[in-house]
Amino acid sequence: MQSKRISQAIAFTLFKLMSYAVIVILVLILGFIISRGIGVINWEFLTAAPEEGMTKGGIFPAIVGTFYLIIGSSLFSFPIGIMSGIYMNEYATDNKLASFIRIMTNNLSGVPSVVFGLFGMALFVNTLGFGDSILAGSLTLGLLSLPLVIRTTEESLKAIDNSFREGSLALGATKLQTIQKVVLPMAFPNIITGLILSIGRVSGETAPILFTVAAYFLPKLPNSIFDQVMALPYHLYVISTSGTDIESSRAMAYGTAFVLISIILIINILASVLRNYFAKKVKMN
Amino acid sequence: MQVKRFFEKLIEGFLLISGSITSITILLIVIFLFKEASGLFTTPVVEEGYVLAFNKENPIKHLNAYQIKQIFDSEISNWNEVGGKDMPIEVVRLSDLTNYYTEEELGAEFEHIPAKASELTAKTPGIVLFLPKQYVAKKFDGILLDHETIRPGDFFGGKEWYPTSTPSAQFGLLPLILGTFWVSLGAILLALPFGLAVAVYLAEIASMRVRNVLKPLIELLAGIPSVVYGFFGLVVIVPFLQQTFGLPVGETALAGSIILAIMALPTIITVAEDSMRTVPRAMKEASLALGATHWQTIYKVIVPYAKSGIMSAAVLGIGRAIGETMAVLMVTGNAAVIPHTLLEPVRTIPATIAAELGEAPVGSGHYQALFALGAILFLITMIISISVELISKKKYAK
Amino acid sequence: MLTIDAKNVDFYYSEFHALKNINLEVEKNKVVALIGPSGCGKSTFLRLLNRMNDLIDGTRMTGSVLIEGKDIYAPGIRVDELRKEVGMVFQKPNPFPKSIFENVAYGLRVNGISDKNFIEERVVQSIKSAALWDEVKDKLNKSAFALSGGQQQRLCIARTLAISPKVVLMDEPASALDPISTAKIEELIYELKKDYTIMIVTHNMQQASRVSDKTAYFYLGEMIEYDDTIKIFTNPKELSTQNYITGRFG
Repeated sequence: MQSKRISQAIAFTLFKLMSYAVIVILVLILGFIISRGIGVINWEFLTAAPEEGMTKGGIFPAIVGTFYLIIGSSLFSFPIGIMSGIYMNEYATDNKLASFIRIMTNNLSGVPSVVFGLFGMALFVNTLGFGDSILAGSLTLGLLSLPLVIRTTEESLKAIDNSFREGSLALGATKLQTIQKVVLPMAFPNIITGLILSIGRVSGETAPILFTVAAYFLPKLPNSIFDQVMALPYHLYVISTSGTDIESSRAMAYGTAFVLISIILIINILASVLRNYFAKKVKMN
Repeated sequence: MQVKRFFEKLIEGFLLISGSITSITILLIVIFLFKEASGLFTTPVVEEGYVLAFNKENPIKHLNAYQIKQIFDSEISNWNEVGGKDMPIEVVRLSDLTNYYTEEELGAEFEHIPAKASELTAKTPGIVLFLPKQYVAKKFDGILLDHETIRPGDFFGGKEWYPTSTPSAQFGLLPLILGTFWVSLGAILLALPFGLAVAVYLAEIASMRVRNVLKPLIELLAGIPSVVYGFFGLVVIVPFLQQTFGLPVGETALAGSIILAIMALPTIITVAEDSMRTVPRAMKEASLALGATHWQTIYKVIVPYAKSGIMSAAVLGIGRAIGETMAVLMVTGNAAVIPHTLLEPVRTIPATIAAELGEAPVGSGHYQALFALGAILFLITMIISISVELISKKKYAK
Repeated sequence: MLTIDAKNVDFYYSEFHALKNINLEVEKNKVVALIGPSGCGKSTFLRLLNRMNDLIDGTRMTGSVLIEGKDIYAPGIRVDELRKEVGMVFQKPNPFPKSIFENVAYGLRVNGISDKNFIEERVVQSIKSAALWDEVKDKLNKSAFALSGGQQQRLCIARTLAISPKVVLMDEPASALDPISTAKIEELIYELKKDYTIMIVTHNMQQASRVSDKTAYFYLGEMIEYDDTIKIFTNPKELSTQNYITGRFG
């Protein structure tokens, strides 16, 4: 009888240790990047262009580029993703078409990012003739984040109890009015949190922008959506693997990694603050 | 009233169109990937703008890409090795013509090259001549190998990936697919025990407070960009492996596996934990009420009940590992050779695409070969998505 | 010696005071019914007796519960061993996704019994005791999910009997069943009384009067009245009890 307790104690201790090992790894990665990178950060690093073969100066063009790509891809994926999510949850709940679309959306979310890169290059850059441009890159990234936006919207809508819909419909509101005036406002907090998290994904992606927009070195800022830009993740890749002088650009690399991590941290914190804020607001009402 | 109803229908139409975008995208991906990929098999096996020529008496009518490479690398030196007569192979490139003819004979503007090339081919039984098309004489006295295209066997069965080798580029899939396989296998072997342990810990053992701290941390782990993982691997794991195992280079399959394992963890943990949480409370209570310990309940009731979810977690983790590009590209060394141990450099399919697409001219054989790789990658991930779908369906069927 | 002896039991779900100073004694081989409107605390009390409430975060209990003279909340008490002594049948039948045989054998296996013959003997005997043998003897290796709801519930009873508990707790065991299955379960309870002490939570007044020797009436976390079943149903002392059993509320 003692043995089953001993095996429980061993198993639980082991699981606990393994779980903490995973957390230690995470803290190690974050701690390493932050401790090495934070010293590099200063006003010049954030506001100047790279100089001397990207071993000096800053990363301003890459920050701006990533910002443009976030905006561009969001302009594409947010409206379409939200509308798509509404359709899936409110209109096509239980038919074959919906389950087909759902399977396709799931499949799309499993497609590797490098395949998006290939596809974006073939369609946007070559076939549609956008060239390497913010437009092509944004559309590629937008497609990549689309399944995430759709799923977020769908789940947020699903969480709204049916009684609210019925209550509104029973008062003579149409389906669209119900969605517009009752369902969407209630789902809004969760949707917005999900959207913010999807920005995190977009800002860190490299493979999809390799052949659709990213420039190796481009000290000037873009003038139109048909220009190329530098981007943070690609910049980190370049200066850590193929710069002219990898050793002396290490500091720049740590700084860039730090900025990327910071964006992710800020986005995650923002999302959880929003979540808490909305949760409290609901409670108070 | 009529207007209002029309408006509602219109909006519903818009929503439907938005909803279909993902399906359309999948369709377009298939079309573009496979269209470009199929172009590979109409690409000449010999470098664009060149031909191979043999002597008329030579019975050889076909050579595949790998044979051509071996001949020009002098790994094959007799025609009988490629199914011909017992006769030494004499490899002649354009620049070698000066060994047979003086510069005067070839002409100041090389205007006599076509005639001389034809003559040389006719009088040398064992010759294989690699010649630019512009120098092929109208009445060439020999056999020209100019219609041969890359065959599916060259791609799917090819053991070498040298997209820029001349006279025949090598687009062999095997080293890349094996590289992908080994790196992913290593990753999943590392990630699965840890992932499942954490999932069990979070779902069953940890207190609410511990869970509330750990969950967001694991979500954060999922949010870190792959280049950052790659960079961390490059500056920490790669030198560590190099020193620990005394390797010439630290960029190895193992480095890739370790990084991929870390990256696959959040997926495995989240999916497995969710599935364990869906085990009905009644099931758990029934077991405990019969005097089972918590641990017995976990491995006799909860894990078997959550089996399909746990399998989905594993499969999705594998999918994540197979498709990951940047991190792997940065730490595996990218040698396109068939690996024998995890401590050698390898090159995966996604890393190959990312590394080479920038250099491959649009429409070239190389470009098409990279799309073929993309198509294969796409198929693999489709298979994974569909099997996850089937696994979770099975759960509801019974 | 009393089989169950609860003294001054108070129980809280974080802030909510769910049980207020409960004192209840049960003798061996008796059937006690707990009745009362939803949320009165009767299920909570039942789950105290095999410490099932331990599974719920943020709960707190004061007072003591003795089972055969042993304080089950004393430090050092092994919960899994306690639960072997105090078996439980749940509201909804909850067989495991295993075969009929394995469901009944489960409790034996997790308690470290590996003797094949013994397990087989016990399984058969338990299924017989649960009045299920004739219906399942030919399909012991079939999935338990293939049984009807009533059969599943009797299987769950068999599963509980297999580990030879001293006390069997039943939390509305027939509430999810049709009348015929319910009658079978009630018959079974009557049979089981010979060997076990049984405590049953029920919403069904007729059921309580049919199967139990004693009845406890709970209301808003308090035990209003506890007496012989006949007395409770014919001549209750408290007005509140009378109102409940005559259907004025609940």
